[in-house]
Amino acid sequence: MALVNTRPAVLEADAAVELGRLRALWTTIRRKPLGAVSAALIAALVLTAILADQLAPYDPLAARPEIRLAAPSWEHPFGTDDIGRDVLSRVVHGSRISLWVGLLAVGIGTVAGMLIGLLCGYCEGRTDLVVQRLMDGIQAIPGLVLALAVVSVLRPSTTNAMLAIALVIIPGNSRIVRGAVLSAKQNRYVEAAQAIGCRHPRIILRHILPNVTAPILVIASIWLGNAILIEATLSFLGVGTQPPTPSWGLMLSSTGRAFMEQAPWLALFPGLAISLAVLGFNLFGDTLRDAWDPKLRRN
Amino acid sequence: MYKYAARRLLLAIPVLLLSSLIVFGLMRVMPGDALTALMGESGNIGERELQKIRHDLRLDLPYYQQYGLWLWQLVSLHPGESIFTGEPITTSLGKAIPVTLELTALAMALGLVIAVPIGVLSATRQDTASDYVGRVVAVSGLSLPDFWLGTLVITFAAIWFHWIPAIGYVSFWESPLRNLQQFLLPAAVLGFRLSAATMRMTRSTVLEVLREDYVRTAWAKGLEGRIVVYKHALKNALIPVVTIVGGQLGVLLAGTVVVETIFALPGMGRLTVEAILFRDYPVVQTNVMLVAATLVTLNLLVDLTYAWLDPRIRYQ
Repeated sequence: MALVNTRPAVLEADAAVELGRLRALWTTIRRKPLGAVSAALIAALVLTAILADQLAPYDPLAARPEIRLAAPSWEHPFGTDDIGRDVLSRVVHGSRISLWVGLLAVGIGTVAGMLIGLLCGYCEGRTDLVVQRLMDGIQAIPGLVLALAVVSVLRPSTTNAMLAIALVIIPGNSRIVRGAVLSAKQNRYVEAAQAIGCRHPRIILRHILPNVTAPILVIASIWLGNAILIEATLSFLGVGTQPPTPSWGLMLSSTGRAFMEQAPWLALFPGLAISLAVLGFNLFGDTLRDAWDPKLRRN
Repeated sequence: MYKYAARRLLLAIPVLLLSSLIVFGLMRVMPGDALTALMGESGNIGERELQKIRHDLRLDLPYYQQYGLWLWQLVSLHPGESIFTGEPITTSLGKAIPVTLELTALAMALGLVIAVPIGVLSATRQDTASDYVGRVVAVSGLSLPDFWLGTLVITFAAIWFHWIPAIGYVSFWESPLRNLQQFLLPAAVLGFRLSAATMRMTRSTVLEVLREDYVRTAWAKGLEGRIVVYKHALKNALIPVVTIVGGQLGVLLAGTVVVETIFALPGMGRLTVEAILFRDYPVVQTNVMLVAATLVTLNLLVDLTYAWLDPRIRYQ
């Protein structure tokens, strides 16, 4: 009977923690204007990606050679590219690729990093030693170089760029989760759970995981910006998204550089879009940290 | 200290071995071997010829032997030849490494020259207009992609000053002036990103140190503001900055990949990108390993510098 009664209480406590976190975030966003700016940037990016079909004035792939390299005007606010495609429509549709790659890469990288971190932190001992050295080995290679090497093996495509970015994210994430698990394990209630004979999965899921979610969300937000940046860089170097798909990095490299003197707008607008998206996620990561990190909150 | 350095050096070896295993494994992950993919694209090479090339490149050996052979080649500094040009990798690296070294050194110098004074200014005039400007520049530096910044710099330099990146690299010893003309803009683009992180760190550590008791004592003694900030505060504030700069080395090395491609500088980064585009596996794996080894060594040096700068830190 007692067991049946504890369940809703635990759920309520969970809901209270969630509510507390959201409230802390809301307070921080209201108090710090940069937090509001970052939230607005991210909201704009997400809405643009969802409503791309409605927002884009033209088909992003429709070429009209008769108006090639037209300067920005009322009809084409961002101008047109070398085969007469509307740059605004391409930038709007490019948000889908960037957001999609960012979300999936960070999602895969975060989940995999979290599982590895939980395993290492919970088991410690030999597994931990071996796996963490493997993570060291991956981290010794700079992220972009590793992603380049992975994509070169798997053939250039959006999906493979995404997988490569996920691989880059895993080691750092696993290390932070591992650290958080090690410190969460010191709590008395974990010891108590072990003493009353809880199974390992239950201890991990119910007692340790809730301690780890805040750091994971903060890193994930910062990594989202980075993932968008790496995807754009890979596409810029020709090993990410392939033409004619509108990707911001690709737009900069293919037409942006070739016609930069005649048509600087080809390089200006996609780059601006990348910068704003990355800026949004960087600032949002800072805001999340301010809101959720008790050490910083005191200051 | 020496003991600590030796132990760290020993610990770096397994990390590098694992990196090499990862790189080697990566290059062998795809179905078939490097050559089938390579030749499959051109499609006009007979089976017998393929066998011969495969044998010449030792791709017919079992994986563990290939790995052992490659490690031996790396250690004995004879990493083989490029599949495409047939040039020994050491020769192409010999040409590329000085370019990348000059670029990164110049970028780092420029980055620090920009970052430290602005960081100090931001901290000493906290919450004033100059502080806000400094912080906005720093955050934008972290968000502007370097390939965009590079493209914009070239575009507007071409439109306004009719300047285009020179074709053909000139070494510093041939003509220092022309060499600096080639390197200054790319190094500035690369340094800007580095300066952003450094600026943020300098600002926060100077702010922290300025609240310390000994700085208050210095003020109380009636010392001039400049001396308090630069002689007393900055020296201690710079210690964490060293770690940040060390942490940025990987970003800097990765940045050379992009900046060298944009500014047509024949360095390591461009060599790697070209090798990747042509699927030149021996070059890719050697370059990636070289970058990893450099990074591990530099990180070790940063840790040792840290101990040297801060006498309170003593490693056991």
